[in-house]
Amino acid sequence: MPDSLMHTWRQPAGGGLAAEALEKAQSQGPVRAVMSSEGVLVLDPAVDPVDLARAYVELARDMSCGQCFPCRLGTQQLAKIMERICAGQGSREDLSRLESLANQISDTARCDIGRTLARPINDILAAHRGLFKQTVDSGRKVEPGSYQSLVTAPCINACPSHVDVPGYLEGIRLGRYDQAMAKVRNDCPMPGTIGRVCVRPCEANCRRNQLDQPLAIRWLKRFLADQEMSGAIAPPEPPAEFKEPKVAVVGAGPAGLSCAYYLGRQGFHTTVFEAQEGPGGMAAYGIPSYRLPREVLAFEAQQVERTGAEIRYGVRVGEDVSLKELGDQGYSAVFIGVGAPEASSMRCEGEDAGYQCFMTGVEFLAQASRGQQPLEGKKMLVIGGGNVAMDCVRTARRLGFDQVNLLYRRTEAEMPADPAEIREAKEEGVHFHYLVAPQKVLAADGKVTGLECLKMELGEPDDSGRRRPVPVQGSEFVLECDAIIPAVGQICVVDCVLPDAGGVTPWKTLVVDQDTFQSDDPTVFGGGDCVTGPATLIGALAAGKKAAGFLATHLQGGECRPGPQHLLESLVQALGVYDPEEAFAYPGLTEKAEPPTLDPEVRVQSFAEVEGGATPPQARVEASRCLRCYRLAVAALDPASPRS
Amino acid sequence: MSQIKINGREVPFEPGQTILEAAKAAGITIPTLCHLPQTQASGVCRVCVVEVAGSDRLLPSCETPAAEGMEVKTDSPRVREARKGILEMLLASGQHNCLVMDLPPEKWTSFQIETMSRPWHDQICPAHGDCRLQDLAVEYGVTVAAQEPPSGEFPLDDEHPMIVRDFSRCIQCGRCVAACNEVQVNRAIPAPWGPRKDQDPDQGWYPLVDYDNCTHCGECVQACPVGALFEKKAYGLAYANDVEKVRTTCPYCGVGCQLWLHVKDGKIVKVTGVENGSPNKGRLCVKGRFGYDFIFSDERLTTPLIKQADGSFAEASWDEALDLVANRFMEIKQKHGPDALAGVSCARSINEDSYQMQKLFRAVIGTNNIDHCART
Ligand SMILES: Cc1cc2nc3c(=O)[nH]c(=O)nc-3n(C[C@H](O)[C@H](O)[C@H](O)COP(=O)(O)OP(=O)(O)OC[C@H]3O[C@@H](n4cnc5c(N)ncnc54)[C@H](O)[C@@H]3O)c2cc1C
Ligand code: SF4
Ligand code: SF4
Repeated sequence: MPDSLMHTWRQPAGGGLAAEALEKAQSQGPVRAVMSSEGVLVLDPAVDPVDLARAYVELARDMSCGQCFPCRLGTQQLAKIMERICAGQGSREDLSRLESLANQISDTARCDIGRTLARPINDILAAHRGLFKQTVDSGRKVEPGSYQSLVTAPCINACPSHVDVPGYLEGIRLGRYDQAMAKVRNDCPMPGTIGRVCVRPCEANCRRNQLDQPLAIRWLKRFLADQEMSGAIAPPEPPAEFKEPKVAVVGAGPAGLSCAYYLGRQGFHTTVFEAQEGPGGMAAYGIPSYRLPREVLAFEAQQVERTGAEIRYGVRVGEDVSLKELGDQGYSAVFIGVGAPEASSMRCEGEDAGYQCFMTGVEFLAQASRGQQPLEGKKMLVIGGGNVAMDCVRTARRLGFDQVNLLYRRTEAEMPADPAEIREAKEEGVHFHYLVAPQKVLAADGKVTGLECLKMELGEPDDSGRRRPVPVQGSEFVLECDAIIPAVGQICVVDCVLPDAGGVTPWKTLVVDQDTFQSDDPTVFGGGDCVTGPATLIGALAAGKKAAGFLATHLQGGECRPGPQHLLESLVQALGVYDPEEAFAYPGLTEKAEPPTLDPEVRVQSFAEVEGGATPPQARVEASRCLRCYRLAVAALDPASPRS
Repeated sequence: MSQIKINGREVPFEPGQTILEAAKAAGITIPTLCHLPQTQASGVCRVCVVEVAGSDRLLPSCETPAAEGMEVKTDSPRVREARKGILEMLLASGQHNCLVMDLPPEKWTSFQIETMSRPWHDQICPAHGDCRLQDLAVEYGVTVAAQEPPSGEFPLDDEHPMIVRDFSRCIQCGRCVAACNEVQVNRAIPAPWGPRKDQDPDQGWYPLVDYDNCTHCGECVQACPVGALFEKKAYGLAYANDVEKVRTTCPYCGVGCQLWLHVKDGKIVKVTGVENGSPNKGRLCVKGRFGYDFIFSDERLTTPLIKQADGSFAEASWDEALDLVANRFMEIKQKHGPDALAGVSCARSINEDSYQMQKLFRAVIGTNNIDHCART
């Protein structure tokens, strides 16, 4: 930890991380002081703690939601007291009232906006009592400084796109679906998709995990999306007017659609060039429709179009048109969101021989998603342990394969696939084989007949912390089958779009600034899987959203640099606001709402959606479980400048 | 059965019960302000907070489930202090021109003059004597002497013919919202929501009505624990302590809702629903609640009238009138047969009366010509 004049920071994620985060933030810009629900940190003697306290209580007042008396009224009083003190009209009584009021609010308030107030206020008063006393006694006037402020929560902080989860849950609880959806759409342009298939880091970081069970955050987002699709709430309105510059977006996957949507909201027209015949990228040609119906993607792409985007299908940038030509056509900037479309190799003999009935997972799913029957037969082997492998085995069951086998080189405990997916695949009759690795594809007359495999055992942990599988010598055996699908990962091919430019890594991912998403060429931005390698939908949406912000700056002639707000976000992100060790006095008694699902026997008959939506009463009961763990922070990050 | 300890006493509870429910069943009173029976607890007022061993915060008893072995204090000095603090801020936040507003003399006069210059403030608050905030303020010895008197503008909705929504006394407890959306399910009062910074500064979080959905039932008025929503017609006529409450059955339809008539000097001042009475459990419709003026109408008939040969009406006794009707009916029946007569019973009659009516027509007069006006 750098030398500090005052430091009361609670370090939920362990001391080392806090120090590291702060050092990193310091290297990007001067962190002068931070006051937050977690504690107070003052590093620069030029920061007036009295003013810092004022900024903090003003944020609390502005964020108070009016849903409980102590916080609604108390924060207003706190702000009045601080205003008086800073105007040089405070008294000793004001100081004691400040303390008692903060304690009282924290003792009785409904949610953490009020409940977390006392700690930082008590901390700053205790550390600077002399200064506070001297200020009220002498009638010193306190000059207002400028501060960044941030409102987050464990779930918000865990979400790559920082969706205001407690905000929209509260909207559902109070029946204000339109406003709840507006909150969601501020950070998530595909709520129907995310509400069905998000990997939901928010739920893993929900504070209710420590009490009983996390909130069904994803399912509640789907509830709102269902309301929107059924017309019960109005879809988003396009901006009133558009500005001059136009942006070309390459790829109508989640990253590209998100970038187009948020550029549209900021008043910029975009043209999205998409190689395939429909929108959604891997969400359409990877994720099967029993998890994500096509109508949902079509509806969401329509909203992006209504917001100012034109989508041109069947155009492969790099082949049909080059980036340079797009520049000549008048596009001022480009966003590249071309994903990670190619399958990784298994490093197994015979996989490149071009045998019939051997097909990569992404190809298999893409064909199935177009309503084709990619492979024929009864017995199928799928190799892999991730969600793509799960999608392959479950799709195979729906395409008439009776004996579907999944081979994975480690055990179920190490499988990266979502446990719910594993459970559902088992329910649908998929056989799981663990500690098995493929050796050689066996074929006769150019057609697959079986797979030679090797038994494995778990050895020492590898870099990812998972135990490494090691072959058992002489354990070769053969599994007969009609078809084989490797589903062991995807790779990027950004060089197809940027054939001669630099800026592509040896893994053929695009190189961009991690904060601004701008590449070496200032007119080219990029995000999503083509930058990170295969990742998640919400990660791609977040990248598209953030890039749209910096693109707008670029289009308006500004320099793309992370501002102080961004610094505070990264700092809080790194410090973490989720404490998995937190203990509650009494365990909660509520259970997470479980979505209804079709019976396994019915599921395998068709590609009908497996999971159902929530009814309004179900949604309300579930939303009411939210503890609203909001965390507030104000920070002085740049050299003192008067408030604008 | 599971037990918790409340104020040192073992109290049984059913799984799923809240502390408030367990306490109530054991006869222990915990004060509440925003809680509206029949609706989901919203935890807004925090007046029902209690001390629970092991928790560093006070917990709202209306929302906290009782758990085995919990030790609860409902009336400790810490709890009383917290309630008092909340009530003080609440009282000082609105224009409560009643006796509990104990401002010091130098502030009192100007506050009263300023307050009374506003519409619907020329008298003491209409809720005086029947106000949850006033009761609690008295019970907890609340004083606002140290606080700033309320200032600024408050919205006033004076458009409605029967209801005044005077937000200068609104405490934003959400009971009217719950009454409209959850009890009557008219969904005419959208829940105010969102951080302060997102609110329209002129409207704050005040529960404004969407009159497109409003059925004018007045359930919100009945739910208001203070003097923010009140009956326009009753304004200034009486305070709670001056009226006699008479229980009766609503005469408007066959449901038989139970009413309280608030009567002063033999006149109905206002009507409210009987909270625990069946079948309506406190609920009323616009007619039952507001349609009582006709009983004092000058044009109301108070005796039967019989039409004379010259076309004028002469007052008669009930016996005379009923004899006349009975005789004429018999005449018609004898001359033209029973099917020349028909009965239509009134929708305001109760089931039993309608039954009697068809009995009269079928068994006494001898015709099946019997119907009911709600069906025709
Ligand atoms: C089978 C499968 C299941 C998955 N399941 C989940 C899940 O449940 N939850 C989750 O969060 N994530 C899941 N993912 C990951 C998720 O789908 C991706 O992380 C996400 O789609 C990445 O978005 P993107 O926009 O970066 O790329 P993509 O979705 O790959 O979109 C790229 C788009 O660009 C187009 N394109 C490519 N090259 C060009 C070109 N030269 N010119 C024009 N257009 C081009 C492509 O056709 C495509 O439409 C899954 C992935 C797969 C493969
Ligand atoms: S309880 Fe609500 S606010 Fe808290 S982490 Fe969970 S979803 Fe977020
Ligand atoms: S609402 Fe209650 S506390 Fe307020 S003025 Fe009326 S009687 Fe007094």
